[in-house]
Amino acid sequence: MLFHRIGLALVFGLAGHLAMAQPVLHAVGLENQYADVLAQIGGPYVKVSAIQSDPNTDPHEFEATPRIAAQFRKADLVVENGLGYDSWAAQLLKGGHAKLLSAQALLKLPDSTPNPHLWYRTDTMPAVAAAAAAFFEAKDPAHKAQYQANLKAFDAALAPWKAEIAKVKARYAGAPVAVTEPVADDLLQEAGLKIMTPFSYELSVMNDTDPAPQDVAAEEALLRDNKVKLFAYNEQVTDPQTEALLALARQHQVQIVPVYELMPSSAKHYQDWMLQATTALDQALAAK
Amino acid sequence: MMAFLQSGPVQTALLLSAAAGLLCGALGVFTVLRGQAFAGHALSDVSSAGGAGALLFGISPLLGFLLFGIAGVAGLELLQPRRAAGRDEAAGILLGAGLGVTALLLHFCLTGHGASGAAQAVMFGAMFSAPPGTALWASGLAGLCLLGLVLIARPLLLATLDAELALVAKLPVRALGFAFLALLALGVTLAAMTIGAILATALLIGPAASALRLAGSPLRAVLLSMGLGLAACWGGVVLAYVSYGWIPGRTWPVSFFIVALLFLFHEAARWGRRA
Repeated sequence: MLFHRIGLALVFGLAGHLAMAQPVLHAVGLENQYADVLAQIGGPYVKVSAIQSDPNTDPHEFEATPRIAAQFRKADLVVENGLGYDSWAAQLLKGGHAKLLSAQALLKLPDSTPNPHLWYRTDTMPAVAAAAAAFFEAKDPAHKAQYQANLKAFDAALAPWKAEIAKVKARYAGAPVAVTEPVADDLLQEAGLKIMTPFSYELSVMNDTDPAPQDVAAEEALLRDNKVKLFAYNEQVTDPQTEALLALARQHQVQIVPVYELMPSSAKHYQDWMLQATTALDQALAAK
Repeated sequence: MMAFLQSGPVQTALLLSAAAGLLCGALGVFTVLRGQAFAGHALSDVSSAGGAGALLFGISPLLGFLLFGIAGVAGLELLQPRRAAGRDEAAGILLGAGLGVTALLLHFCLTGHGASGAAQAVMFGAMFSAPPGTALWASGLAGLCLLGLVLIARPLLLATLDAELALVAKLPVRALGFAFLALLALGVTLAAMTIGAILATALLIGPAASALRLAGSPLRAVLLSMGLGLAACWGGVVLAYVSYGWIPGRTWPVSFFIVALLFLFHEAARWGRRA
Protein backbone atom coordinates (compact mmCIF):
# COMPACT_ATOMS: atom_id res chain seq x y z
CA MET A 1 0.00 0.00 0.00
CA LEU A 2 2.76 2.33 1.00
CA PHE A 3 4.74 1.39 -2.09
CA HIS A 4 1.63 1.85 -4.11
CA ARG A 5 1.27 5.37 -2.76
CA ILE A 6 4.88 6.16 -3.42
CA GLY A 7 4.43 4.80 -6.92
CA LEU A 8 1.40 6.96 -7.49
CA ALA A 9 3.15 9.99 -6.06
CA LEU A 10 6.07 9.30 -8.38
CA VAL A 11 3.77 8.99 -11.35
CA PHE A 12 1.88 12.14 -10.48
CA GLY A 13 5.03 13.92 -9.55
CA LEU A 14 6.65 13.04 -12.84
CA ALA A 15 3.48 13.94 -14.71
CA GLY A 16 3.37 17.25 -12.89
CA HIS A 17 6.99 17.87 -13.73
CA LEU A 18 6.44 17.05 -17.38
CA ALA A 19 3.41 19.32 -17.43
CA MET A 20 5.53 22.09 -16.01
CA ALA A 21 8.13 21.64 -18.73
CA GLN A 22 5.47 22.05 -21.40
CA PRO A 23 5.85 25.45 -23.02
CA VAL A 24 3.47 28.03 -21.63
CA LEU A 25 4.31 30.86 -24.02
CA HIS A 26 4.83 31.17 -27.77
CA ALA A 27 7.48 33.45 -29.23
CA VAL A 28 8.49 34.12 -32.83
CA GLY A 29 11.77 35.50 -34.11
CA LEU A 30 11.37 36.89 -37.61
CA GLU A 31 14.98 35.93 -38.37
CA ASN A 32 16.51 32.77 -36.94
CA GLN A 33 19.21 34.64 -35.01
CA TYR A 34 16.50 36.39 -32.96
CA ALA A 35 14.63 33.09 -32.55
CA ASP A 36 17.82 31.49 -31.21
CA VAL A 37 18.22 34.16 -28.53
CA LEU A 38 14.52 33.86 -27.58
CA ALA A 39 14.94 30.10 -27.19
CA GLN A 40 17.97 30.54 -24.98
CA ILE A 41 16.05 32.91 -22.67
CA GLY A 42 12.74 31.04 -22.71
CA GLY A 43 14.26 27.60 -22.17
CA PRO A 44 11.65 24.84 -21.98
CA TYR A 45 8.84 27.23 -21.06
CA VAL A 46 8.66 29.13 -24.32
CA LYS A 47 7.97 27.52 -27.69
CA VAL A 48 10.02 29.48 -30.19
CA SER A 49 9.83 29.46 -33.97
CA ALA A 50 11.69 31.36 -36.65
CA ILE A 51 10.06 32.73 -39.80
CA GLN A 52 13.22 33.07 -41.84
CA SER A 53 16.03 30.57 -41.74
CA ASP A 54 16.46 29.73 -45.42
CA PRO A 55 19.99 30.82 -46.29
CA ASN A 56 19.18 31.01 -50.01
CA THR A 57 16.83 33.95 -49.76
CA ASP A 58 17.44 37.59 -49.04
CA PRO A 59 15.53 38.60 -45.89
CA HIS A 60 15.36 42.18 -47.24
CA GLU A 61 12.86 40.96 -49.80
CA PHE A 62 10.76 38.59 -47.78
CA GLU A 63 7.00 38.62 -48.25
CA ALA A 64 4.42 37.26 -45.85
CA THR A 65 2.13 34.31 -46.51
CA PRO A 66 -1.12 33.25 -44.80
CA ARG A 67 0.78 30.42 -43.04
CA ILE A 68 2.88 33.03 -41.25
CA ALA A 69 -0.25 34.95 -40.25
CA ALA A 70 -1.50 31.76 -38.56
CA GLN A 71 1.86 31.39 -36.78
CA PHE A 72 1.55 34.98 -35.54
CA ARG A 73 -1.94 34.38 -34.13
CA LYS A 74 -0.55 31.82 -31.69
CA ALA A 75 2.38 34.01 -30.65
CA ASP A 76 2.65 35.98 -27.41
CA LEU A 77 5.86 37.71 -28.44
CA VAL A 78 7.30 38.56 -31.84
CA VAL A 79 10.81 39.95 -32.25
CA GLU A 80 11.73 41.89 -35.36
CA ASN A 81 14.94 43.55 -36.48
CA GLY A 82 13.37 46.83 -37.61
CA LEU A 83 14.86 49.52 -39.90
CA GLY A 84 12.67 48.33 -42.76
CA TYR A 85 14.46 44.99 -42.83
CA ASP A 86 11.31 43.06 -41.93
CA SER A 87 8.62 45.72 -42.14
CA TRP A 88 6.19 43.18 -43.64
CA ALA A 89 5.50 41.83 -40.15
CA ALA A 90 3.89 44.88 -38.52
CA GLN A 91 0.89 44.76 -40.87
CA LEU A 92 0.30 41.05 -40.16
CA LEU A 93 0.48 41.61 -36.42
CA LYS A 94 -2.26 44.22 -36.40
CA GLY A 95 -5.27 43.02 -34.46
CA GLY A 96 -3.40 40.09 -32.92
CA HIS A 97 -2.51 39.83 -29.25
CA ALA A 98 1.25 39.33 -29.74
CA LYS A 99 3.61 41.96 -28.41
CA LEU A 100 6.11 43.19 -30.98
CA LEU A 101 9.68 43.84 -29.85
CA SER A 102 11.92 45.66 -32.32
CA ALA A 103 15.70 45.56 -32.00
CA GLN A 104 15.79 48.98 -33.64
CA ALA A 105 13.45 50.44 -31.00
CA LEU A 106 15.37 48.76 -28.15
CA LEU A 107 18.59 50.36 -29.40
CA LYS A 108 16.77 53.69 -29.98
CA LEU A 109 18.05 53.90 -33.55
CA PRO A 110 16.49 56.48 -35.89
CA ASP A 111 14.75 55.25 -39.08
CA SER A 112 17.50 56.91 -41.11
CA THR A 113 20.12 54.41 -39.83
CA PRO A 114 21.64 53.22 -43.12
CA ASN A 115 22.78 49.75 -42.05
CA PRO A 116 19.94 47.47 -40.90
CA HIS A 117 22.06 44.39 -40.06
CA LEU A 118 21.83 44.95 -36.31
CA TRP A 119 22.86 41.46 -35.16
CA TYR A 120 26.51 42.19 -35.96
CA ARG A 121 26.49 44.78 -33.12
CA THR A 122 27.47 43.60 -29.66
CA ASP A 123 24.78 45.62 -27.89
CA THR A 124 21.80 44.31 -29.89
CA MET A 125 21.21 40.82 -28.51
CA PRO A 126 21.79 41.73 -24.83
CA ALA A 127 19.05 44.36 -25.22
CA VAL A 128 16.75 41.90 -27.01
CA ALA A 129 17.44 39.17 -24.43
CA ALA A 130 16.75 41.51 -21.50
CA ALA A 131 13.49 42.74 -23.01
CA ALA A 132 12.39 39.19 -23.83
CA ALA A 133 13.21 38.01 -20.29
CA ALA A 134 11.21 40.88 -18.81
CA PHE A 135 8.25 39.96 -21.02
CA PHE A 136 8.43 36.25 -20.14
CA GLU A 137 8.70 37.06 -16.42
CA ALA A 138 5.62 39.28 -16.55
CA LYS A 139 3.56 36.72 -18.50
CA ASP A 140 4.78 33.66 -16.63
CA PRO A 141 5.85 34.73 -13.10
CA ALA A 142 6.05 31.08 -11.97
CA HIS A 143 9.35 30.68 -13.85
CA LYS A 144 10.80 34.08 -13.14
CA ALA A 145 13.94 32.68 -11.55
CA GLN A 146 14.67 30.48 -14.57
CA TYR A 147 14.25 33.33 -17.02
CA GLN A 148 16.59 35.48 -14.99
CA ALA A 149 19.15 32.69 -14.79
CA ASN A 150 18.88 32.12 -18.56
CA LEU A 151 19.42 35.83 -19.24
CA LYS A 152 22.51 35.81 -17.03
CA ALA A 153 23.85 32.71 -18.75
CA PHE A 154 23.24 34.26 -22.19
CA ASP A 155 25.04 37.48 -21.33
CA ALA A 156 27.94 35.43 -19.96
CA ALA A 157 28.01 33.34 -23.16
CA LEU A 158 28.65 36.50 -25.19
CA ALA A 159 31.89 37.16 -23.30
CA PRO A 160 34.19 35.01 -25.51
CA TRP A 161 32.91 36.86 -28.59
CA LYS A 162 33.55 40.27 -27.05
CA ALA A 163 37.00 39.11 -25.92
CA GLU A 164 37.76 37.99 -29.48
CA ILE A 165 36.72 41.41 -30.82
CA ALA A 166 39.03 43.09 -28.31
CA LYS A 167 41.82 40.76 -29.42
CA VAL A 168 41.34 41.66 -33.10
CA LYS A 169 41.19 45.33 -32.20
CA ALA A 170 44.39 45.16 -30.13
CA ARG A 171 46.26 43.41 -32.93
CA TYR A 172 44.88 44.92 -36.12
CA ALA A 173 43.20 48.26 -35.32
CA GLY A 174 43.15 50.48 -38.39
CA ALA A 175 43.64 47.59 -40.83
CA PRO A 176 41.89 48.42 -44.13
CA VAL A 177 39.17 46.03 -45.32
CA ALA A 178 36.76 45.82 -48.29
CA VAL A 179 33.12 44.68 -48.22
CA THR A 180 30.25 44.21 -50.67
CA GLU A 181 27.21 45.09 -48.57
CA PRO A 182 27.09 46.71 -45.15
CA VAL A 183 26.16 43.35 -43.54
CA ALA A 184 28.96 43.02 -40.98
CA ASP A 185 30.07 46.67 -41.00
CA ASP A 186 29.21 47.15 -37.33
CA LEU A 187 31.37 44.20 -36.28
CA LEU A 188 34.26 45.30 -38.51
CA GLN A 189 34.11 48.80 -37.06
CA GLU A 190 33.81 47.57 -33.50
CA ALA A 191 36.98 45.54 -34.12
CA GLY A 192 38.70 48.76 -35.17
CA LEU A 193 38.98 47.82 -38.85
CA LYS A 194 38.73 50.48 -41.52
CA ILE A 195 36.14 49.91 -44.27
CA MET A 196 37.62 51.27 -47.51
CA THR A 197 34.67 50.42 -49.81
CA PRO A 198 32.69 53.53 -50.81
CA PHE A 199 29.44 53.46 -48.84
CA SER A 200 27.48 54.36 -51.99
CA TYR A 201 28.78 51.10 -53.50
CA GLU A 202 27.61 49.12 -50.46
CA LEU A 203 24.16 50.67 -50.80
CA SER A 204 23.92 49.91 -54.53
CA VAL A 205 24.78 46.24 -53.88
CA MET A 206 22.37 45.99 -50.95
CA ASN A 207 19.55 47.57 -52.97
CA ASP A 208 20.44 45.92 -56.32
CA THR A 209 20.69 49.22 -58.14
CA ASP A 210 23.11 49.99 -60.97
CA PRO A 211 26.41 50.90 -59.29
CA ALA A 212 28.38 54.00 -60.27
CA PRO A 213 31.35 53.00 -62.48
CA GLN A 214 33.57 55.14 -60.25
CA ASP A 215 32.55 53.09 -57.21
CA VAL A 216 33.16 49.81 -59.07
CA ALA A 217 36.60 51.07 -60.11
CA ALA A 218 37.41 52.08 -56.52
CA GLU A 219 36.27 48.70 -55.17
CA GLU A 220 38.24 46.77 -57.81
CA ALA A 221 41.35 48.86 -57.13
CA LEU A 222 41.15 47.98 -53.41
CA LEU A 223 41.48 44.29 -54.28
CA ARG A 224 43.77 44.55 -57.31
CA ASP A 225 46.29 46.84 -55.67
CA ASN A 226 46.22 44.91 -52.39
CA LYS A 227 45.08 47.97 -50.47
CA VAL A 228 42.97 45.87 -48.10
CA LYS A 229 43.76 43.04 -45.71
CA LEU A 230 40.50 41.18 -46.20
CA PHE A 231 37.32 41.11 -48.27
CA ALA A 232 34.04 40.44 -46.44
CA TYR A 233 31.19 39.49 -48.79
CA ASN A 234 27.56 38.56 -48.26
CA GLU A 235 27.50 34.79 -48.71
CA GLN A 236 23.72 34.76 -48.94
CA VAL A 237 23.20 37.17 -51.81
CA THR A 238 25.76 36.86 -54.55
CA ASP A 239 25.50 38.07 -58.12
CA PRO A 240 27.83 38.23 -61.15
CA GLN A 241 29.34 41.45 -59.78
CA THR A 242 30.22 39.83 -56.47
CA GLU A 243 31.55 36.74 -58.27
CA ALA A 244 33.88 38.97 -60.30
CA LEU A 245 35.13 40.67 -57.13
CA LEU A 246 35.66 37.30 -55.45
CA ALA A 247 37.71 36.13 -58.43
CA LEU A 248 39.76 39.33 -58.26
CA ALA A 249 40.34 38.86 -54.52
CA ARG A 250 41.49 35.26 -55.06
CA GLN A 251 43.77 36.29 -57.89
CA HIS A 252 45.48 38.89 -55.71
CA GLN A 253 45.56 36.71 -52.60
CA VAL A 254 43.22 38.95 -50.60
CA GLN A 255 41.75 36.97 -47.68
CA ILE A 256 38.01 36.30 -48.12
CA VAL A 257 35.54 36.18 -45.22
CA PRO A 258 31.85 35.33 -45.77
CA VAL A 259 29.20 37.13 -43.72
CA TYR A 260 25.51 36.29 -43.43
CA GLU A 261 22.00 37.74 -43.29
CA LEU A 262 20.68 34.79 -41.29
CA MET A 263 22.34 32.44 -38.82
CA PRO A 264 24.04 29.68 -40.86
CA SER A 265 23.37 26.07 -39.92
CA SER A 266 27.07 25.60 -39.08
CA ALA A 267 26.53 27.60 -35.87
CA LYS A 268 24.72 26.08 -32.89
CA HIS A 269 23.83 29.37 -31.26
CA TYR A 270 23.99 33.08 -32.03
CA GLN A 271 27.05 33.55 -29.80
CA ASP A 272 28.89 30.69 -31.56
CA TRP A 273 28.13 32.24 -34.94
CA MET A 274 29.46 35.64 -33.89
CA LEU A 275 32.55 34.10 -32.28
CA GLN A 276 33.20 32.12 -35.49
CA ALA A 277 32.79 35.27 -37.56
CA THR A 278 35.22 37.23 -35.42
CA THR A 279 37.74 34.36 -35.28
CA ALA A 280 37.54 34.23 -39.07
CA LEU A 281 38.50 37.92 -39.18
CA ASP A 282 41.38 37.24 -36.81
CA GLN A 283 42.65 34.34 -38.92
CA ALA A 284 42.28 36.25 -42.19
CA LEU A 285 44.19 39.21 -40.80
CA ALA A 286 46.89 36.93 -39.36
CA ALA A 287 47.30 35.17 -42.72
CA LYS A 288 47.86 38.42 -44.56
CA MET B 1 38.97 60.66 -69.30
CA MET B 2 41.36 57.70 -69.01
CA ALA B 3 39.55 56.47 -65.94
CA PHE B 4 36.28 56.69 -67.87
CA LEU B 5 37.52 54.55 -70.75
CA GLN B 6 39.37 52.07 -68.53
CA SER B 7 36.36 51.37 -66.34
CA GLY B 8 34.94 47.89 -66.96
CA PRO B 9 31.30 48.89 -66.47
CA VAL B 10 31.75 51.89 -68.80
CA GLN B 11 33.28 49.72 -71.55
CA THR B 12 30.40 47.27 -71.25
CA ALA B 13 27.86 50.09 -71.34
CA LEU B 14 29.48 51.74 -74.38
CA LEU B 15 29.57 48.50 -76.34
CA LEU B 16 26.07 47.39 -75.38
CA SER B 17 24.47 50.77 -76.01
CA ALA B 18 26.29 51.19 -79.33
CA ALA B 19 24.92 47.86 -80.51
CA ALA B 20 21.40 48.80 -79.44
CA GLY B 21 21.59 52.40 -80.66
CA LEU B 22 22.90 51.59 -84.14
CA LEU B 23 20.55 48.66 -84.75
CA CYS B 24 17.45 50.39 -83.38
CA GLY B 25 18.34 53.54 -85.32
CA ALA B 26 18.28 51.56 -88.57
CA LEU B 27 15.24 49.44 -87.73
CA GLY B 28 13.40 52.46 -86.40
CA VAL B 29 13.16 54.16 -89.79
CA PHE B 30 11.36 51.15 -91.27
CA THR B 31 9.25 50.82 -88.12
CA VAL B 32 8.04 54.40 -88.39
CA LEU B 33 7.45 54.14 -92.15
CA ARG B 34 5.51 50.89 -91.69
CA GLY B 35 3.52 52.28 -88.77
CA GLN B 36 4.63 49.46 -86.47
CA ALA B 37 5.75 51.49 -83.45
CA PHE B 38 3.18 49.86 -81.23
CA ALA B 39 4.19 46.37 -82.38
CA GLY B 40 7.79 47.28 -81.53
CA HIS B 41 6.76 48.41 -78.08
CA ALA B 42 4.75 45.23 -77.56
CA LEU B 43 7.78 43.12 -78.51
CA SER B 44 10.04 44.90 -76.03
CA ASP B 45 7.45 44.48 -73.28
CA VAL B 46 7.16 40.77 -74.06
CA SER B 47 10.96 40.45 -74.01
CA SER B 48 10.95 41.92 -70.48
CA ALA B 49 9.46 38.61 -69.30
CA GLY B 50 12.62 36.96 -70.58
CA GLY B 51 14.76 39.50 -68.73
CA ALA B 52 12.93 38.75 -65.50
CA GLY B 53 13.16 35.01 -66.19
CA ALA B 54 16.91 35.32 -66.74
CA LEU B 55 17.31 36.98 -63.34
CA LEU B 56 15.13 34.33 -61.73
CA PHE B 57 16.89 31.31 -63.25
CA GLY B 58 20.35 32.82 -63.34
CA ILE B 59 20.84 32.53 -67.12
CA SER B 60 22.30 35.18 -69.43
CA PRO B 61 19.99 38.21 -69.71
CA LEU B 62 20.65 38.32 -73.47
CA LEU B 63 19.35 34.76 -73.86
CA GLY B 64 16.30 35.47 -71.71
CA PHE B 65 15.32 38.67 -73.50
CA LEU B 66 15.92 37.02 -76.89
CA LEU B 67 13.85 33.92 -76.24
CA PHE B 68 10.83 35.98 -75.27
CA GLY B 69 11.40 38.51 -78.03
CA ILE B 70 11.27 35.69 -80.58
CA ALA B 71 8.24 34.21 -78.83
CA GLY B 72 6.69 37.67 -79.18
CA VAL B 73 7.19 37.61 -82.96
CA ALA B 74 5.57 34.19 -83.13
CA GLY B 75 2.70 35.55 -81.06
CA LEU B 76 2.25 38.58 -83.31
CA GLU B 77 2.31 36.37 -86.38
CA LEU B 78 -0.31 34.04 -84.91
CA LEU B 79 -2.56 36.89 -83.79
CA GLN B 80 -1.98 38.85 -87.00
CA PRO B 81 -5.37 39.61 -88.42
CA ARG B 82 -6.12 40.05 -92.10
CA ARG B 83 -7.21 43.66 -91.77
CA ALA B 84 -4.68 46.33 -90.84
CA ALA B 85 -6.95 47.91 -88.23
CA GLY B 86 -6.62 44.79 -86.07
CA ARG B 87 -2.84 45.12 -85.79
CA ASP B 88 -2.92 47.43 -82.76
CA GLU B 89 -5.38 45.10 -81.12
CA ALA B 90 -3.06 42.11 -81.60
CA ALA B 91 -0.07 44.08 -80.31
CA GLY B 92 -2.05 45.27 -77.31
CA ILE B 93 -3.16 41.75 -76.39
CA LEU B 94 0.41 40.48 -76.72
CA LEU B 95 1.83 43.37 -74.69
CA GLY B 96 -0.58 42.69 -71.86
CA ALA B 97 0.16 38.96 -71.84
CA GLY B 98 3.92 39.59 -71.86
CA LEU B 99 3.86 42.11 -69.04
CA GLY B 100 1.63 39.78 -67.03
CA VAL B 101 4.29 37.08 -67.21
CA THR B 102 6.90 39.71 -66.30
CA ALA B 103 4.88 40.64 -63.22
CA LEU B 104 4.78 36.99 -62.16
CA LEU B 105 8.50 36.35 -62.71
CA LEU B 106 9.57 39.61 -61.04
CA HIS B 107 7.43 38.71 -58.05
CA PHE B 108 9.26 35.37 -57.76
CA CYS B 109 12.59 37.21 -58.17
CA LEU B 110 11.75 39.43 -55.21
CA THR B 111 10.27 36.81 -52.92
CA GLY B 112 12.66 33.96 -53.65
CA HIS B 113 15.96 35.43 -54.74
CA GLY B 114 16.08 38.73 -53.00
CA ALA B 115 16.80 40.87 -56.02
CA SER B 116 15.14 44.09 -54.93
CA GLY B 117 16.41 46.01 -57.96
CA ALA B 118 15.15 43.39 -60.42
CA ALA B 119 12.09 45.34 -61.53
CA GLN B 120 14.11 48.51 -61.94
CA ALA B 121 16.80 46.69 -63.94
CA VAL B 122 14.39 44.90 -66.29
CA MET B 123 12.01 47.81 -66.87
CA PHE B 124 14.41 50.75 -66.84
CA GLY B 125 17.79 49.16 -67.53
CA ALA B 126 20.97 48.57 -65.53
CA MET B 127 23.71 48.95 -68.08
CA PHE B 128 26.67 49.30 -65.73
CA SER B 129 25.96 45.96 -64.09
CA ALA B 130 25.52 44.04 -67.36
CA PRO B 131 27.93 41.08 -67.57
CA PRO B 132 30.84 42.04 -69.91
CA GLY B 133 30.40 38.89 -72.03
CA THR B 134 26.83 39.90 -72.78
CA ALA B 135 27.95 43.11 -74.47
CA LEU B 136 30.21 41.16 -76.85
CA TRP B 137 27.42 38.76 -77.82
CA ALA B 138 25.02 41.68 -78.17
CA SER B 139 27.30 43.56 -80.55
CA GLY B 140 27.88 40.43 -82.62
CA LEU B 141 24.14 39.92 -82.85
CA ALA B 142 23.55 43.56 -83.76
CA GLY B 143 26.10 43.24 -86.56
CA LEU B 144 24.32 40.19 -87.98
CA CYS B 145 20.96 41.93 -87.76
CA LEU B 146 22.27 44.99 -89.58
CA LEU B 147 23.64 42.69 -92.29
CA GLY B 148 20.24 41.01 -92.54
CA LEU B 149 18.54 44.40 -92.80
CA VAL B 150 20.92 45.48 -95.58
CA LEU B 151 20.02 42.33 -97.51
CA ILE B 152 16.26 42.89 -97.38
CA ALA B 153 16.34 46.70 -97.28
CA ARG B 154 15.45 47.44 -100.92
CA PRO B 155 12.50 45.06 -101.35
CA LEU B 156 11.35 45.85 -97.79
CA LEU B 157 11.32 49.55 -98.58
CA LEU B 158 9.26 49.00 -101.70
CA ALA B 159 6.85 46.72 -99.83
CA THR B 160 6.60 49.36 -97.12
CA LEU B 161 6.01 52.36 -99.36
CA ASP B 162 3.81 50.68 -101.98
CA ALA B 163 2.62 47.19 -101.10
CA GLU B 164 0.52 46.86 -104.28
CA LEU B 165 3.45 47.69 -106.52
CA ALA B 166 5.57 45.22 -104.55
CA LEU B 167 2.96 42.48 -105.17
CA VAL B 168 2.88 43.31 -108.85
CA ALA B 169 6.70 43.03 -108.85
CA LYS B 170 6.20 39.54 -107.32
CA LEU B 171 7.95 40.42 -104.06
CA PRO B 172 7.15 38.12 -101.10
CA VAL B 173 5.49 40.93 -99.12
CA ARG B 174 4.26 38.78 -96.26
CA ALA B 175 7.61 37.00 -95.85
CA LEU B 176 9.38 40.35 -95.90
CA GLY B 177 7.07 41.62 -93.18
CA PHE B 178 7.79 38.57 -91.06
CA ALA B 179 11.56 38.87 -91.60
CA PHE B 180 11.40 42.51 -90.57
CA LEU B 181 9.39 41.64 -87.46
CA ALA B 182 12.05 39.07 -86.51
CA LEU B 183 14.81 41.66 -86.90
CA LEU B 184 12.70 44.13 -84.95
CA ALA B 185 12.38 41.65 -82.09
CA LEU B 186 16.17 41.31 -81.91
CA GLY B 187 16.59 45.08 -82.04
CA VAL B 188 14.13 45.88 -79.27
CA THR B 189 15.58 43.02 -77.25
CA LEU B 190 18.97 44.75 -77.31
CA ALA B 191 17.31 48.08 -76.53
CA ALA B 192 15.41 46.50 -73.64
CA MET B 193 18.65 45.14 -72.20
CA THR B 194 20.24 48.55 -72.57
CA ILE B 195 17.69 51.09 -71.35
CA GLY B 196 14.99 48.76 -70.10
CA ALA B 197 11.90 47.17 -71.63
CA ILE B 198 9.63 50.14 -71.01
CA LEU B 199 12.06 52.68 -72.45
CA ALA B 200 13.18 50.56 -75.43
CA THR B 201 10.52 52.23 -77.60
CA ALA B 202 12.29 55.55 -77.13
CA LEU B 203 15.44 54.18 -78.76
CA LEU B 204 13.45 52.58 -81.57
CA ILE B 205 11.24 55.55 -82.44
CA GLY B 206 13.17 58.61 -81.23
CA PRO B 207 16.18 58.65 -83.60
CA ALA B 208 14.09 57.49 -86.57
CA ALA B 209 11.40 60.14 -86.07
CA SER B 210 14.04 62.87 -85.82
CA ALA B 211 15.97 61.58 -88.85
CA LEU B 212 12.86 61.28 -91.04
CA ARG B 213 12.10 64.92 -90.35
CA LEU B 214 15.54 66.03 -91.50
CA ALA B 215 16.74 63.58 -94.17
CA GLY B 216 15.62 63.71 -97.78
CA SER B 217 15.94 60.05 -98.70
CA PRO B 218 15.30 56.79 -96.83
CA LEU B 219 18.98 55.83 -97.00
CA ARG B 220 20.05 59.15 -95.52
CA ALA B 221 17.36 58.84 -92.86
CA VAL B 222 18.67 55.41 -91.88
CA LEU B 223 22.26 56.66 -91.60
CA LEU B 224 21.25 59.78 -89.67
CA SER B 225 18.99 57.76 -87.40
CA MET B 226 21.83 55.35 -86.59
CA GLY B 227 24.08 58.33 -85.81
CA LEU B 228 21.48 59.90 -83.53
CA GLY B 229 20.88 56.59 -81.76
CA LEU B 230 24.59 56.15 -81.13
CA ALA B 231 25.02 59.77 -80.03
CA ALA B 232 22.16 59.56 -77.53
CA CYS B 233 23.45 56.27 -76.10
CA TRP B 234 27.07 57.31 -75.71
CA GLY B 235 26.07 60.78 -74.55
CA GLY B 236 23.87 59.13 -71.92
CA VAL B 237 26.72 56.94 -70.68
CA VAL B 238 29.05 59.95 -70.45
CA LEU B 239 26.46 62.06 -68.60
CA ALA B 240 25.66 59.25 -66.16
CA TYR B 241 29.38 58.92 -65.45
CA VAL B 242 29.78 62.65 -64.94
CA SER B 243 26.69 62.79 -62.69
CA TYR B 244 28.66 60.93 -59.99
CA GLY B 245 29.58 64.16 -58.25
CA TRP B 246 26.26 65.99 -58.60
CA ILE B 247 24.61 64.53 -55.52
CA PRO B 248 27.20 62.90 -53.22
CA GLY B 249 26.91 59.13 -53.20
CA ARG B 250 24.17 59.06 -55.83
CA THR B 251 24.48 58.62 -59.60
CA TRP B 252 21.80 59.36 -62.13
CA PRO B 253 20.63 56.42 -64.24
CA VAL B 254 21.96 56.09 -67.81
CA SER B 255 18.48 55.41 -69.17
CA PHE B 256 17.26 58.81 -68.06
CA PHE B 257 20.00 60.63 -69.94
CA ILE B 258 19.59 58.57 -73.12
CA VAL B 259 15.85 59.21 -73.24
CA ALA B 260 16.36 62.89 -72.39
CA LEU B 261 18.86 63.28 -75.23
CA LEU B 262 16.54 61.49 -77.66
CA PHE B 263 13.77 63.89 -76.71
CA LEU B 264 16.05 66.91 -77.15
CA PHE B 265 17.20 65.61 -80.56
CA HIS B 266 13.60 65.28 -81.64
CA GLU B 267 12.67 68.79 -80.51
CA ALA B 268 15.79 70.15 -82.25
CA ALA B 269 14.83 68.29 -85.43
CA ARG B 270 11.33 69.74 -85.32
CA TRP B 271 12.71 73.22 -84.79
CA GLY B 272 15.40 72.73 -87.45
CA ARG B 273 12.81 71.58 -89.97
CA ARG B 274 10.65 74.63 -89.40
CA ALA B 275 13.53 77.11 -89.54
